[in-house]
Amino acid sequence: MTPNVSVLDGSLYFTISLIFVALSFMGYLVFLFIGNKAISKISFGFLITSFIIQTFAFIIRWIYAYKIGIDTPPLVDLYDSLVFFAYVIIFGFILLRIFYDFDALGFIITFVALLALVFASFSPMAVSAIEPTIPALQSYWLLYHIIALFLSYGAFAASFGLGILYLIKSGKESKPALTQPAQNGGGQQIKIKKQSKFLSLLPPPKIIEEAIYKVIVFGVVFLTAGIAIGAAWADSAWGGYWSWDPKETWSLITWLTYMLFIHARLTKGWGGKKMAWIAVIGFAVVIFCYLGVDLIIPGLHSYATPGSNPIL
Amino acid sequence: MKMFSKLNNFFSSVKLAIFLFIAIAAIAMIGTFINQGNTINQYKKIFGPAAYHILYRLGFLNIYDSWYFIGLAALLIVNLVFASANIFPQTLKAVFGPFPSFKETLDKKTPKGVFETLESKKTAEEIKKNLNLKFGKPFVKKQGDNGGSTELYYSKNSVFRFSPFIAHLSVIIIIVGVLLNFKYGFRSYTNIKVGEKTNVSYLLKNQKPVKLPFVIRLDKYQTKYYPDRIPKAYISTISIIKNHVTVLTKNMEVNHPVTYDGITIYQASYGHYKPTKVIVRILSLNLKNPAYRKYINAAIGKSYPAGVGGISFSFIPYKHPKKGRLPFYLNIIKNDKKNAVKKVRFHILPDKNLKEPMIFAKYKHMVFLYTGIAQVKTYYYSGMEISKNKYVSLVWIGCIILIVSMFFAFFFNQAQTWVRLTEAEGGKKTIIEIISVPKKKFESFYKRFNKNIADIKKELGG
Repeated sequence: MTPNVSVLDGSLYFTISLIFVALSFMGYLVFLFIGNKAISKISFGFLITSFIIQTFAFIIRWIYAYKIGIDTPPLVDLYDSLVFFAYVIIFGFILLRIFYDFDALGFIITFVALLALVFASFSPMAVSAIEPTIPALQSYWLLYHIIALFLSYGAFAASFGLGILYLIKSGKESKPALTQPAQNGGGQQIKIKKQSKFLSLLPPPKIIEEAIYKVIVFGVVFLTAGIAIGAAWADSAWGGYWSWDPKETWSLITWLTYMLFIHARLTKGWGGKKMAWIAVIGFAVVIFCYLGVDLIIPGLHSYATPGSNPIL
Repeated sequence: MKMFSKLNNFFSSVKLAIFLFIAIAAIAMIGTFINQGNTINQYKKIFGPAAYHILYRLGFLNIYDSWYFIGLAALLIVNLVFASANIFPQTLKAVFGPFPSFKETLDKKTPKGVFETLESKKTAEEIKKNLNLKFGKPFVKKQGDNGGSTELYYSKNSVFRFSPFIAHLSVIIIIVGVLLNFKYGFRSYTNIKVGEKTNVSYLLKNQKPVKLPFVIRLDKYQTKYYPDRIPKAYISTISIIKNHVTVLTKNMEVNHPVTYDGITIYQASYGHYKPTKVIVRILSLNLKNPAYRKYINAAIGKSYPAGVGGISFSFIPYKHPKKGRLPFYLNIIKNDKKNAVKKVRFHILPDKNLKEPMIFAKYKHMVFLYTGIAQVKTYYYSGMEISKNKYVSLVWIGCIILIVSMFFAFFFNQAQTWVRLTEAEGGKKTIIEIISVPKKKFESFYKRFNKNIADIKKELGG
């Protein structure tokens, strides 16, 4: 009996990892209401398991693609792109979880990862079969272009989660009027008489604020690198480093959005809710750049969907 | 002078930069929703003539070349240059001094700063050693100029203060590279048939011809396929001819352009001109009617009576024409039997004495002979993009500097610390006053500061 294609090309393992991400998401959701540390640890365990399964699946998939005569890494169509997106944001969360005590972020990150995996596995637009790579994508630049951009997408997803946490936390805390004048910068925590379990689990807003900044600038460095690599690639493939293709243009819009964030933060000292909102809006722009542009506006970057004509 | 300082403040302001970010992003957005560079007729079809005129007047149909978009970009450049010019002296001062004194810093009351006062029975010299362990080497020492106090200045990560300046500079480098390419470079397009040559290419933006400093000849064109007929590679073999001498022959593929004399040639598209009309001469070999001949100007796909032998014929194109064979075959239909259809392949006889090869098909007593080769043959052509981007390396250098400087600008936080040590109670006690000011207001900075203070307290014994 020959094994099923989904075993050979690794897509079955992505579906299995989806179950673990779903379990992790449910765990983090329960954790929000109960606040039991053990539950968050179990959820984190599920997430690590899904991460390991996905790593394994990527290796299998790459080897399989190589075996059927495709030299470029399988990252180019919508399915691969979505599973890789989920993979990167899970990886990002694992890193954040190691450096900060950000258990409360879990439910947002796992939710975004879960959405990406569900979309990849069940949407008719995303097909797990590995298609041969069209000539335009046969380039060494491809891998670096995609990895740089997905690292930035992952960071922006994390900043989105942090932004939402900040808004929840500061929204609830602005009501009790025990705010002390924090003239010496920080250190003093704002005391709250009555706090829900969930809010008490969150780190103080000032720490979330700093994390938002750090995660976003990480994303911006990789976004800049990804755009520059893309431009270099376009220069060697199409004869020009910039052609106002919709995806290019939207990447510029994304870049400008975060440049606004950085300038306002570093020179105007903007902070708090304003920045949290920019983190949330910025991620909406990222998602539009990543998926919206392909689904709404056709261009050089459109993901290969079944029945579409390959572009030279 | 006042006027200049006002202008300087305006053009170097972050507010202007933020306005420009939003304005440029908004206009760029419009450009992605309205397809750029269609023909007038296409636009009229999509939007209707009235809406077309409004969009045209607003410049929305060629938005990235519109005066206001270019104007905003120019303003951004001015903003960048002014900002960089202003950042530089500030940075120099922050890194190399002269640094403000303890008192000046204290009086300024920067909201980012933190202030702490400690007491110790140790002498100023001993305390200095303890402080140096925490904050590094003091940059400046001011000895006792105001009433027996010692001032120390520490600076951490100060060299990274240059990175924002360098980042802005690198964006200017990128823009200069882009502008030079815009002025001295071009992007153009040309189609060349297999076997033919040209030295004319057409600009992408306005289809005006550009004369190249050499001639390009397309020697061969080939599409390679994966087993399931998905294209794997489009390969053109091209020769560069300069002064009637072939100087270079190379295979050109997507992602593998050919560069000669600062001009790069890219594989952009391919195609073939399908034959539309066939001029055919029918000869009868039948001895009963040896003199029968007929010329027919036949359209592909249409059926014609042969006029002899009671048959009709038509030309049907092959779905996948093969090399060295005509792209269509002869289809013979017997008039008396409806479904009797015979496919007849054409033969090509190369004849050295004739200029054109002889192409014929034979069916029973009839020979179908071609003339008018030009309309018959399938011509493959290769679409090439030809561009001159001489200054593109400036863009890449700018990008690399930008990314590296961004990294240092974002992740390193300069911290300046002023310490004043004052003797009190006749030398029995020393009062230690510390102000620390970070460049970026980070919670982690204040945490570290508090920890340092706690450590120093412990070491100094209360």
